[in-house]
Amino acid sequence: MARRHARVGYGLPTLLAVGLHVLVLLVSIVSLPARDTEPDSSIVQATLVSTETVTDQAQRAEAARARARERQAEEQRQAEEEAAREAEAAAAEEQREAEREAQRQAEEQAREEARQAAEAEAARRAEEAEQETRRREEQRQEEEARRQREAEEQRQREEEAERQRQAEEEAERQRKAEEEAERQRQAEEEAERQRQAEEEAERQRQAEEEAERQRQAEEEAERQRQAEEEAERQRQAEEEAERQRQAEEEAERQRQAEEQRQREEAARRAAEAADQGLDRAIEGESEAVANAQQGQEAANDFIALVRRAVEQAWVIPPNVPSNATAVVTVRLGPSGELFAASISNSSGDSAFDRSAIQAVEAAAPFAELRQLPAAVQRDYRQFNLRFRPGDVSS
Amino acid sequence: MNDSMSIPHLIMSASTVVQLVMLLLTVGSILSWIVIFQRTFVMRRAHRAHRSFEDRFWSGVDLNELYRETPTEQETQGAEHIFRAGFREFNRLLAKTRSPQAILDGVQRSMRVAWSREEDRLNLHLVFLATVASASPYIGLFGTVWGIMGSFQSLSMAQQATLATVAPWIAEALIATAMGLFAAIPAVIFYNRLSAESSRLLGKYEDFAEEFHSILHRNLQGRAEAGAA
Repeated sequence: MARRHARVGYGLPTLLAVGLHVLVLLVSIVSLPARDTEPDSSIVQATLVSTETVTDQAQRAEAARARARERQAEEQRQAEEEAAREAEAAAAEEQREAEREAQRQAEEQAREEARQAAEAEAARRAEEAEQETRRREEQRQEEEARRQREAEEQRQREEEAERQRQAEEEAERQRKAEEEAERQRQAEEEAERQRQAEEEAERQRQAEEEAERQRQAEEEAERQRQAEEEAERQRQAEEEAERQRQAEEEAERQRQAEEQRQREEAARRAAEAADQGLDRAIEGESEAVANAQQGQEAANDFIALVRRAVEQAWVIPPNVPSNATAVVTVRLGPSGELFAASISNSSGDSAFDRSAIQAVEAAAPFAELRQLPAAVQRDYRQFNLRFRPGDVSS
Repeated sequence: MNDSMSIPHLIMSASTVVQLVMLLLTVGSILSWIVIFQRTFVMRRAHRAHRSFEDRFWSGVDLNELYRETPTEQETQGAEHIFRAGFREFNRLLAKTRSPQAILDGVQRSMRVAWSREEDRLNLHLVFLATVASASPYIGLFGTVWGIMGSFQSLSMAQQATLATVAPWIAEALIATAMGLFAAIPAVIFYNRLSAESSRLLGKYEDFAEEFHSILHRNLQGRAEAGAA
């Protein structure tokens, strides 16, 4: 007997239906926020138009860059601190990509210049050294020539003396021969007179003459030997002098070579030092640039946040000319609260100016300032916002 | 931004009219789902009951026994209800009249009434499903149009026509249409399915009524011949 209950109740269906709806709601809450992230950013970005900067930061950066450019024209020794200052300028400025590129190129150029200058310096020094050596070489040659000339003169003088001496000896010999002839004549006369008796005497005399002649010959030989010795001595002296001169020249050459080498070494070391200085400067600069970049990204975020907040709080009054532009100087406290907002460049339309100041007041405080790096924070405590009917830009 | 675009936040920040529309649609959706579940259970049970009753009916059991099996006060459904109504009328008329035609007429009338009750029972609330299915898209559309009107009004007051000022309005307006479709689509599908099922069941009941009628007719015919003889 299948006795069935009379009707189907509504309790279970109600439970099921409500459960189904709750489930659908939960699914929509859980899954939809994840999908919402994409459209919301595009909604906001649609109003982000201008990225131009009018903060005094940029002006300061501009000035620093100009100074850096001037300094680039200076000598390579200053390249290092110049690079550092350029890095500082890079740290300070607002839209860096292109400018930093330019700076890097300029620095490269500076480094290149420095290297070229160093090379030129080295080349110049090498050339100077070369010239110096050449000059010294010439001097030495001159000296040598002079010395040679002097030696020649001396030699000539000696030869002259020798010749005179020989002539004198010749004259002496002639005189002696004459005397001899006289004496022979006298002897002949004597012999004439005392022919027989004097044969002995003649012999003696002959013997004496012979002895005399021998002595004279000996003297002559002696004199010749002495002259030869003298000549020998002189030659030796000359040789000695020559040797000494050569030694001196050798020493001179060595000294010059040494000097040259030292000079080259010094030049090389100077060039190396310049290179190393540049390298160090470049390293320091890239580090500074990296730091600056970090700070700057945060700063850009901050600027974008401020701009967006002001944009959303801005109510443009009606009938504003489309080219009206007002610049509002904003000063912030350390934690991002608004100290003062004043019109620094009026648009000429007081309602428009008021609306701009009201927008800044409504958007304050900018608590995101505290998230910036401490060094950058100080720079962004005061900035300008430019209001145009199209957009807000900082 | 994320919070303001989430669906609960959009619903909460919508204008009152749109909120009312969304509330109405939510209620309609819940009720339609209640009907869907309830009707599905009813149909399944009716199918099962019909099958088991037909088995018993055609098993060769005596009709008087079958009639007495169920106490009179208990309410019956489907083919059994039709059978009991017809048989009760047949027994009553048999005692009062001898005209077979009058008896058969009375039985047929009583069975038609029972069948009509069964039809009414099976189609109960299906009309509500049909209403939700056809009306909720329009209700949702009304909410959307109202919300977009509001967004344009706020746009005329704002100085800057940014997407951010329009987007929440349009989003919450579109949520109304989404909810209308969410209620309407299941209602349409299940209305078609349930009404087809109920008409099939009613056809089966009709078949059964005809068969039972022919049995009674045969029975009366035999008695008339026996009485005449």
